[in-house]
Amino acid sequence: MRDLDLVRLKDDLSERGILMIFSGPFSHSIIEELGKAVRNHLENASLSRTAIMDVFAVYVEQAQNVRNYLSRWEQAPDGALLVNSGIVVIAHNDEHYVVSSGNLMAQADAAPLVARLEQLRAMSKAELKALHKERLRQPLGEVGGGDMGLIGMARKATIPLQYTLTTVNQYVFFTLRVVL
Amino acid sequence: MDKLIVEATRSSPAIQFDAEKRQLSIRGESYPENAAAFYAPVFAWLKEFIAGLTPSEPVQVDLEIFYLNSSSTKVMLNLLDVLEQVAQDGANIIVNWRYDPDNEAILECGQDLSEELEALIFNLVEQESP
Repeated sequence: MRDLDLVRLKDDLSERGILMIFSGPFSHSIIEELGKAVRNHLENASLSRTAIMDVFAVYVEQAQNVRNYLSRWEQAPDGALLVNSGIVVIAHNDEHYVVSSGNLMAQADAAPLVARLEQLRAMSKAELKALHKERLRQPLGEVGGGDMGLIGMARKATIPLQYTLTTVNQYVFFTLRVVL
Repeated sequence: MDKLIVEATRSSPAIQFDAEKRQLSIRGESYPENAAAFYAPVFAWLKEFIAGLTPSEPVQVDLEIFYLNSSSTKVMLNLLDVLEQVAQDGANIIVNWRYDPDNEAILECGQDLSEELEALIFNLVEQESP
């Protein structure tokens, strides 16, 4: 393990416009606390309430998606590796707020997620609104809140949702990037 | 019938349902860890309330929400659907969706929900910014 150079790390974060980053095991109370910190920060930056709540909403959906996915792995043999793999980042680049997240997932779970993201990426705002309306009607549980969350983020995003997949041993590290 | 009173937390709204006054209110933010579990007592109370409802007496529902995550939005529609059903059977249900004009997502959410409902009266009510 390399020595930790906090000065360099801090410079790197600030060069990349990173306002907040959390890496490690998510809990619901961490999601709440970080959310509060983000809102305070954005209020101090005199952002409109609508813009603050858009950043907050996309942050909550991503953090809850990461947590909900990883919590399924708590009892698995590789549980600790997966549960600790979550990360969420809020950055400000080129006049845009960017909310990103990442986590390890099973290869088998990545394929349907990518297929879904490709569908959403190809849709217009009107098509996304229609899809949201259709999903709203389906009872909770039949489809998780996760898919609704992706649709909601795609509706708020200024460019199509971006994602990456990186193979890590038998898993995939999935990242999602939402530009507001 | 007992009132349903739930205190707000950072991620769940305050709930005040009063059967005697026929006033139901949900106020705050909603992104609980498990939306279905959080709202289960609300549905249970509502079911009992509806069973004892006299159709001619109006019911006022005040929803003053600042943020709803995706699963809470779904639950909110399910809840309004329960009221929509009794409105279709002739009950007088008035829903006031109280929104902060500086928080566009909540106005849009109210508009999305109102498109799904016909028999109950759904008012979008502009509130003063806090």
